[in-house]
This record gives sequence, structure tokens and C-alpha cells, in this order.
Amino acid sequence: MSHSTTVTFADKVRAIPGGEHLEMCYSCGTCVSKCMIQQKVEPDYNPRRLIRRVLLDQVEDAFTDPTTWMCSACDLCFPACPQKIHISGVIGAVKQLAVAEGYKSPLETVKVDDKLCSGCGVCVMVCPYEAPHLVEKKVNGQMDRVSLVDKNRCMRCGTCVAACPLGAISRKGVANPDIVKQIKIKTDRTTSPKLLIFICDWSLRVDDDLRILESYPSNIRVIHIPCSGRIDPQMAMLALRSGIDGVLVCGCAPGECHFKRGTNVGSCKISLLGQMFDQMDPERGGRVRFIQIGTQDRGRIRNEIDGMLESLELMKAR
Amino acid sequence: MVDAARQPNITVKAYTEVERVEGFVGNFKVQLREKSKRVISSRCNGCGDCSKVCPIEVPNSFEMNLAPRKAIYVPMSQSVPLKYTVDMDACIHCYKCVEACGKLNAIDFSMEDKVTWEDAGAIVVATGYDHFDPSVMSEYGYGRFPNVITSMEMERLNNSAGPTAGDLIRPSDLKNPKRLAFINCVGSRDKRYNPYCSNFCCMYSIKNAVLLKQMDPDLDISVYYMDIRTPSKGYEEFYDRARELGIHFIQGRPSLITEDPGSKNLFVHSEDVSLGKVIEREYDMVMLNQAGIPQPDQATMSSVLNIVQSPGGFFMEYHPKLRPMDTPTDGVFLAGACQGLKDIPSSVAQGIAAASRAGRILHSDKWEIEPTVASVWEDRCISAQGKQCGLCAKACPYGSINYEVGKAAEVVTAKCHGCGGCVAECPHNAITQLHYTDAQLLAQLQAVLANEPEKKILAFRCHWCSYGGADLAGTSHFEYSAKERGLRVMCSARMDSDFVYEAFRLGAGAVLYSGCHRQDCHYITGQIVGATRAERLTKTFDKMGMSPGRFRVEWISAAEGDKYARVINELQKVIDGIPPEKLKEEIETLRPQMEQRARRMKEAPRVEEAIEFSKRMVASMHGEEVAN
Repeated sequence: MSHSTTVTFADKVRAIPGGEHLEMCYSCGTCVSKCMIQQKVEPDYNPRRLIRRVLLDQVEDAFTDPTTWMCSACDLCFPACPQKIHISGVIGAVKQLAVAEGYKSPLETVKVDDKLCSGCGVCVMVCPYEAPHLVEKKVNGQMDRVSLVDKNRCMRCGTCVAACPLGAISRKGVANPDIVKQIKIKTDRTTSPKLLIFICDWSLRVDDDLRILESYPSNIRVIHIPCSGRIDPQMAMLALRSGIDGVLVCGCAPGECHFKRGTNVGSCKISLLGQMFDQMDPERGGRVRFIQIGTQDRGRIRNEIDGMLESLELMKAR
Repeated sequence: MVDAARQPNITVKAYTEVERVEGFVGNFKVQLREKSKRVISSRCNGCGDCSKVCPIEVPNSFEMNLAPRKAIYVPMSQSVPLKYTVDMDACIHCYKCVEACGKLNAIDFSMEDKVTWEDAGAIVVATGYDHFDPSVMSEYGYGRFPNVITSMEMERLNNSAGPTAGDLIRPSDLKNPKRLAFINCVGSRDKRYNPYCSNFCCMYSIKNAVLLKQMDPDLDISVYYMDIRTPSKGYEEFYDRARELGIHFIQGRPSLITEDPGSKNLFVHSEDVSLGKVIEREYDMVMLNQAGIPQPDQATMSSVLNIVQSPGGFFMEYHPKLRPMDTPTDGVFLAGACQGLKDIPSSVAQGIAAASRAGRILHSDKWEIEPTVASVWEDRCISAQGKQCGLCAKACPYGSINYEVGKAAEVVTAKCHGCGGCVAECPHNAITQLHYTDAQLLAQLQAVLANEPEKKILAFRCHWCSYGGADLAGTSHFEYSAKERGLRVMCSARMDSDFVYEAFRLGAGAVLYSGCHRQDCHYITGQIVGATRAERLTKTFDKMGMSPGRFRVEWISAAEGDKYARVINELQKVIDGIPPEKLKEEIETLRPQMEQRARRMKEAPRVEEAIEFSKRMVASMHGEEVAN
């Protein structure tokens, strides 16, 4: 058997741990349809095509391909791939090479307000992507320890935004004030229970389920968030304080989280909060709930909302 | 099948298992267990009265559990032989069947399994295949979503003799589906389950799609595929016809099926590779075209029949191109999907080929084998002295050596193919191979290394590959060092370590140890025996402090003449790279060790005589007068 002596782009990708076996891809498209990015965000997103570009030495195209930058390494595709290619590993390898070549992520990432940041490091612990790290920096003329976010790593899930005790981190569109504003919108006077739903952008795979959400009257308010890890328990408490009867937080099933472990972070926080309320006032338990919707749970959101409304109605009647 | 059962020379033994096979080609003894049917075959006339009165209903596995059957049953109405069987797991012993049978008196609950030994001259294995269970692929929801069915269930649903009399209905609401999706490669071409292509499924889904479309042209049928494989005669034309009929072929492997909880309709999520876009389409019913897999007891059968399994689990043929229906065990032949998944025409062709192969044995009085078989010197075998050994039996790829402590090892000549692995493995020179005896090979060794051995390259070549490789190098006029001296043996397994030691003792400059590539070995696993030994030798020589490269192991096929020439030239370079005085000194230092290691070979019978003969040969080559 003869081996080529020239180092191709594919060889460079293969040399990075995780980038192996890409030549085994036979373009079946399983990864593309398992992933939700193309359907929900970016029509040009296509891991299969990126692998092809790598194999055909289209370096420039591969580095500028949105796939390179948008994969959040959720690894839904990896267990589904019939060729056992670790696709997010391959994409990560391409991204690593792109960063080394000076390419920058086009994503708008989270921002840290240096003046508010105390350098506590909670964001470093909570981030699924190891994007923030603590640096010494001059703030207001003084040296201070603050968090700095690596723009090429941040996938903007917002888990750090929720975790920051000082509110120093913000993400455009779902910064703390944006969500508070949505919670505080006054609803019409109605006797039926008011329910606030925080829904993760990725937990509802199909458009039919999103239409279910729209089909409810205005006493059911829906706030879209990038990840259930973005939810701060204070938001749920604020909602209850401002006259809402129940809060439902909806994330992805364990292992299917779009941001690796955001759903676990959200689950810990909100489930704990729910249990606290239940124990404080068992008569009015179940006002804060956390549910995890899997990729095959088509239509389950309707059952969950109806069930919650029913129990809230019973609670009101008591 | 009915004709076969009526043929006087054919005995059909239904519900019978092969438990043991002994003997060899032409003289097999087969132990059969005829399972108790609780119905006496000679009395049962297949009228079915017993089944009518039986109160027990269980799922009918022949109908893919889509219909019931009774506890006393025939699998299907066309069963051959048409004799009823009692399913003892389901029977409640009400004995209504015994009453219904009446005067025929065919039902006997005291019946037991019957074990018999039969003689057979040849065995044809046609044990078929099994189906992959798609419920392990949670993404397709088989078992959870009622309207996801397998191809075999589809086969029963659109069969006019099936449970719905050919009316295609979907399980959730028994309505006729209007939109159907077929998903190919479920469990095949998938490294998570079965990496191989199941061969027949592409045509199978096209067949089903065309059948359904012809029955109801309004049906919307989509076939999801990765590649459509239509390699045989007329197949591509059939695929063309399917597209002309308006069947959609969507390239893209579905990653997910979701179900609408209300209507139980299914949504198939896939990428349409031509569009490069993710599509989600709604269907009433989805058929999973599941992979074929080896029978669950394939491994048991392979040990009963002493035949090998290929990596996928199917039985291994003797040669993938030239002898696809033979097994390495003479007299055992393969037919159909048990050897590898194949469609009906190929199965029929292989079946007929296997039958004629078997017929060749049955019609001849003698069985010809290669004359290079092994034979045991019983007085030298230590097993006869009650000591543990069995190395010969372990090296034999054909199971032709009967080894038992207390008795000398015995070679079943009819099973022996003559690789010589046992001969080389025997530490006591108790086995010899006709035409390749230790004495003969030693004589050749001494002859070729008689003069200036330190300048010679001694090449051990296996008959089937490396010898052919050297031959090809010659006929292709590839130049290689004239100092090479070749020595042919049947297989690399025959290349005794003693020969290599002896070659170095005689002062050979370099030794090449070459045979087939592992997968090409003519003697199934002979190369592995040889390769293990070669590895051990390499380490030994390293420890002895031999200059690197003087002993070389290379696997060279008969098509690699260029490689053979290159390897020999490289060996020549190794010799040229060592100063002659240093080489001579090294040979002298190592000689006592080599002598010590090769000492046993001199004890082999007739060695003295052979060496004497070889000396005379050398003398005559030098033009000396030799007395007869």
C-alpha cells in the first residue's frame, strides 16, 4: 500500500484529537437532520458539507462555513452517525485550525461589564465551553481581576448570565432587564390562572409544537430563552411576586441539551426552587415546575401546559 | 418443496436439529435430534380438526405475530410436511385435540425427542439468516409507535395469504394508509450494529413499493435511501420503472421519527441530500427495511460442523472468488444466506452449485487429496508416553489431528490439507510431512549454503504466495540479487524455527521468512501459526545480538513480484552494509547458540542419509566425480 507524502487539509484535521475518521463519511445526512441549527437558525449550516469541504481541500470555504462556528458540540449527531464519526470533534478541529489562521467567530457572544465584575469566577465554573477565564486588567485606573470571555469559544447559551451574582454579564436580546420587562407586562383581567412559560429555544424540535404555544390565550405568556440554564430562580420568584400563578420552565432532555449541560444547570436550580415552594406551602405546591422535553416527545408540551393549568385552577378554587 | 418431499431419494427431516458431526468427507456421522412434535407424523394427515377445537391462541410467529395461531398448529398452510405440532409452552393439557383426532390416534403426549445417528457422504449447509431487531434503534421508535413496522411485517400485510388477506392496513386504527415511507439500511451499513450491506434490501423495498403502487396508484410512497444498489441483471431497469410509477426516492438517511400523539401519524426527519436541506414529511405508516443478520445459533453450528465464521458472523467460504460454495472442511458445502446475505437468484445458483459439488463426492469411490499430508512417528510422540503436549492439534487449521494424552497423536489423512504447521510445531520431530520431510529440507539447506554462505540470502517461500511472487519477479524481469537462494515449503506454517537456526549455523548472510498475507492464506490460519513463530524468532535473534535486518519477515503475495525483488535487494544491501570480517565474526560468535537450538533436528529420522546425499549433490555441482 502506498501512502501519500503530502499533508492535506484533511490530514491536519485528523491530527487533532477528535478529528479522526472523517474520511468514513458517506454523506447520508443523518447529522444534518439530527441537528436543529439548520432548521432553526442558519439554512447554510451543514456538517456533512463541511466534512466534504475538508476532504476536498477547500480550506477557505471550510473556515468561513457557518458550520465551523455554530456547532455547539451538543453531540446529538455523534450517537446517531452510522459511521461513528465524532462530528463535533471534526468541526472543533476545523475551528481550531481556523482560529490558528486568524479567523474569528461571527457569533455575537456574551459581554462582561468590567465595572460590575468582581472576579468571583462563578462564570468560569458554570460555562460548558470553558469560554470565560479570569484575567488581571486595568479597570477605572486600577488593576483588577475580571472575567474575560473567549469569543471563539462562547456559544452564547447564557448560563453564565444567569449564574453571575452581580449581573455583570449580559447577552443581547435576553439580558436581565429584557426578561424582567417581559415578566412585568400586565395581562388582561381574567379569572383563569396566569401561567408563565420559559421555553428553551431548542427543546421544541418541530414547528407544530411551537404553534401549540401560540394557540393559547394571553393568560399563558411565553418567554423564549436560549437555554434553560439561562433561567435565574429570581426570575421565577419575580414572576410569582408580580401576580403570576405558576412558572413552567422547559428545557431539553438530559443528554440532548443544545449547550451540553445547560439543562442540568437549569434543572438543579428550578427543581430545587420548586421543591422549596412545595415544602413551604404544601397546599399550594407545584407552582414552579421544570420539565425536560426529548427529541421524540412531539406534542408533549400541550399535555404539560394543560396539566399545569389544571392543577393551578384546582389551587385557585381551594 | 412439495416435489422435494415426494422425491424418493430425499428425506425431509422437519423440526430436527443437527447436534454433532463426526468423521470426514465421504464418511460423516451426523447426530440428529428429532424434536418431539407430540404428533405421530406417519398417522397425521394434516386435516386440522385438532387445531379447530384447541382453546388456546398465541401469536403466530410466521405471521410476524400479526395473527393468532392455536397451541396445536402448522406454521403455515403450505408447510412441508403438513404435520401438526403441539406447542408445549402454550398447551394447557385439555386433550380436546386427542378427542378430535379420534380414530387416527395421531396425537401422543408421551412422545419424546428422538436422537439418531445418520451416515452422510457430504453436508450442504443452508441455514439461512435472521432479521435485525430495529427496536434497539430508539430514533425510529419501532415498538413504541404502532405505525412503524418492519419489512417482514409489511410482507405479511400485503400478502394475499396473510392475516389481512392482502389488505394493507395500519396497526393504530386499522385504516388503509395513504402516505407510506420506506427506510432503507436499518441496522445495516451502520457501524453501531452491522457494518455490512445487506445486499437484497434495496431491491426488496423497490419491489414492495412497486407492488403497492400497482395495487393503488394513489398511494404516496417515498423510499429513504443512502445509496440505491441495483447491480444485477434487470435490477436497474426495475428501479427505473419504480421512478416512472411516481415513487419518490429521497436520498438521505432519516435521523428521527416523531409521532403525532393524536392522529398517530408519523413524521420522518431527514436531510434531502440533493437539496442540502432538512425536510420533515408526514406519513401514515413507515416501513423499516431491516438488515439481515446471522442466525442466532450460527456460532454453535460453526463449531458443530468445524467450519469458520467470517467477521460479520456468516460462514466463511473456502475462497471468496473461486470456491464460494466450499468450506475449508472437505465435504461440507454452503448454500444461500448462511454464507453471506444474498438475494434469491444468487441463493438458488449457490444452492445448485453446492448440490453438484456434493454429488461429485457421492458419485465417486475415491477422494483425491494432495500427497503432502502429515504423518506421525508414533514412537517419538510424547503424548504416547502420557505427557501433555497437543501443539500439533493446536496448529492444525482443519482439526485433522486427534490428540489425546496417553495415545500418540493421530492424523486423519482425509482431512489433512498438507500445510505442515503441525510438523514445524512439534518439538520432538514426531511428525513429518511427505515430500517436505525435515531430512529433505535440511539436505536442501546444506546444499544451497555449501559455498560462501555468508554472501547468500536464503529465502523461505510459501508455495502459494511468495513462491509465486518470486516467479512473477522472474517472468516480469525484475532484477534482484543473484545471491538469493529460494527454498519452497507449502506454507509459512511449515517454516520450522530449526531451519532458520540451521541456516544461520551454516553461516547464511541473511534469511527471508515469507508467506501469504494473513487474509490470503491457502490453509485458513497457517500464516498465523507461521507469523507467531516468526515474531518469536525475530525477538530471539535480537536478544542474541544479531545485526538488524539479517533475519527478515515479509508477507508477499503471488501478485507482488516487485515487492519480492525489492525485499531481496534490500537484504543484499544489509549484507553489503556489514564489513565482511565483522559478518564472519558475528556468524562465528552466534554459531554455538544456533547449534544448540537446532540440535533436535539432527535426531529426525533419515537425516544422516539426507545430509550424505546433499554432500554428493554439492560435489557433483562442482564437477567432482561421485561414486554411486
